[in-house]
Amino acid sequence: MSKFLHLVVRNALRNRLRTVLTAGGSAFLLFVLVFMLTALTEMYAWEGAPATHLRVAVQHSTGLATPLPIELENYLRGEEISACAGHLIKLNWFGGYYQDRRNFFANFASDHKEWREVWDELSLPDELYKKWCSQKNAMVVGRGLAKRLGWKVGQQVTLMGTIYPVNPELEIVGCFTGPTPREEEQLFFRWDYLDELLGGRKVVGTFWIRARTLDDVARLKDLIDGHTKNSSDPTETMTEKEFGQQFAAMMGNIKGMIAILGSIVLVILVFMTANTVAMSARERVTEIAVLRTLGFRRSHILFLVVAESVLVTLAGALFSLGIALVLFNWLLLSPSPQFPVFLVEPGTIAVALGAAVLCGSLSALVPAIQSARRKIVDGLRYVG
Amino acid sequence: MSDPFAAAPSPSPSPAVAPASGPTREATVRVAAVAKTYYRDQQPIPVLENIDLTIQSGEFVALMGPSGSGKTTLLNLVAGIDRPSSGSVVVAGNDLHGMSERQLAAFRSRHVGFIFQFYNLIPVLTAFENVELPLLLTSLSKAERRKHVATALEVVGLSDRRDHYPRQLSGGQEQRVAIARAVVTDPTVLLADEPTGDLDKRSEEEVLVLLRRLNQEFAKTILMVTHDPKAAASAGRTVRIEKGALVAAPKDGQA
Repeated sequence: MSKFLHLVVRNALRNRLRTVLTAGGSAFLLFVLVFMLTALTEMYAWEGAPATHLRVAVQHSTGLATPLPIELENYLRGEEISACAGHLIKLNWFGGYYQDRRNFFANFASDHKEWREVWDELSLPDELYKKWCSQKNAMVVGRGLAKRLGWKVGQQVTLMGTIYPVNPELEIVGCFTGPTPREEEQLFFRWDYLDELLGGRKVVGTFWIRARTLDDVARLKDLIDGHTKNSSDPTETMTEKEFGQQFAAMMGNIKGMIAILGSIVLVILVFMTANTVAMSARERVTEIAVLRTLGFRRSHILFLVVAESVLVTLAGALFSLGIALVLFNWLLLSPSPQFPVFLVEPGTIAVALGAAVLCGSLSALVPAIQSARRKIVDGLRYVG
Repeated sequence: MSDPFAAAPSPSPSPAVAPASGPTREATVRVAAVAKTYYRDQQPIPVLENIDLTIQSGEFVALMGPSGSGKTTLLNLVAGIDRPSSGSVVVAGNDLHGMSERQLAAFRSRHVGFIFQFYNLIPVLTAFENVELPLLLTSLSKAERRKHVATALEVVGLSDRRDHYPRQLSGGQEQRVAIARAVVTDPTVLLADEPTGDLDKRSEEEVLVLLRRLNQEFAKTILMVTHDPKAAASAGRTVRIEKGALVAAPKDGQA
């Protein structure tokens, strides 16, 4: 197959302007696809990796806006729950911003004790963790977030509260790292410091528990929700995936909408490329007849035409992915990004490349079949 | 789906344009009672009628006749790129009747070298790559292909133009590259469709000398369609066709 590659490449480059325009069009359309898929991935990111499935969130059954009673912690630390759960923290979504409301990032007030055990995919060196534990107004920041906002260890930062009527003044004591930049786009400060600022009101947004085993996850849900069922503050205990899905549900059927838009993009790509391939094949009717006279089979011609089309759409896909990677990385490092984390996942790359191959193949199918089926003598006589 | 690039079922060609080992006089092409009718708007247009033609191995035959007499149609039937309406065409022992498209492609790849009037080189490929094209259908290694192409280009006297594109060659040179492409697989029969029809006098002479040399020195069996009596004179035998039927052939060597 490789011995025919130079013929495919030369044919693709025969009319350079047309090829560049087609590849450029493919690149644009596939960039739109990559953009949509990446946005979708970010929206559903909390649906989580398998490692997160051991974490269980406990929130008020009426929703996140209703706080949980602090007394529930006593039960959660009791013998019954401890048999299934290794670690527990209180976690409040603080929802603050830094200097400008557009500086959006995830910020939480969290128990510092057992923080590392519950968020075990985050890595914070021991000496920094100890410093966080020893200083009430300390906070730990994701490495990516600190880099983006130009924060340094030791710097004083004031977070402007939007949910709580306080503006905590915090000192950065360390940066943690995560498995992907997504986990590094958040910060944690101490829950007891927030509570102090709030005058000891003991407001708890959620409890997060790390189950000992996957079997314990289901058991915890039954135990906790059963325990609070007839109380004044019933709970809803859910896996981290379910916790993330409730946000996704708020966004409506985004997946369906993106699937429709993605399909439209691909259909446009198919028609656009098909037009180019058809023109190209029409110009080469005699050449194709000559190749067949030399002994090329119909399957060879099919392959050559389809491969040329796929080559052009693949070039477009690679270009679009390159642009996406550069652009999204730039957005990530930009001081006031509109998209705090925008990662092109390997799955998205695979979908873009697959779409390029599929659209390239589909576009070429009709011209390729026509070229392969045309009688040789008709091809030799053809006057384009 | 089978690999379209699997080597052709035919054996690899022997070294390109192997020199003649001695005269052999068996029939390479046997056309018997062939008729060909085309249809235009369902109206039959007979092009060939009851054609019988035998070409012995090592012969150089010129096929002459006025425009529309059916010369090229007959050539196409022998090449296996068209099918007769009736009758049989046997080339190198292969009865083309009933062969599938795939079998015909393999037959052409192994047994037929075709030379067109307008050269029909692939413009995006160099002379070397054009000559190499038919070898891509064989199981030859890259090194072997290079060797065969170099030999073929040497035979046509264009070794120094191997990296030139068709647009960088004169008409005569393009036709010589096309001849190298036709002989590079060492086919059983060379079929030339007015190979000098688009050339100036000097290039025409060069091509005819080359064809004669391929016939005499390398024992290539050649069937050449031509209008030109001078070109026909290069052949050992001339066959005339008029209104789709062979007419009494002149004596060998006469136009």
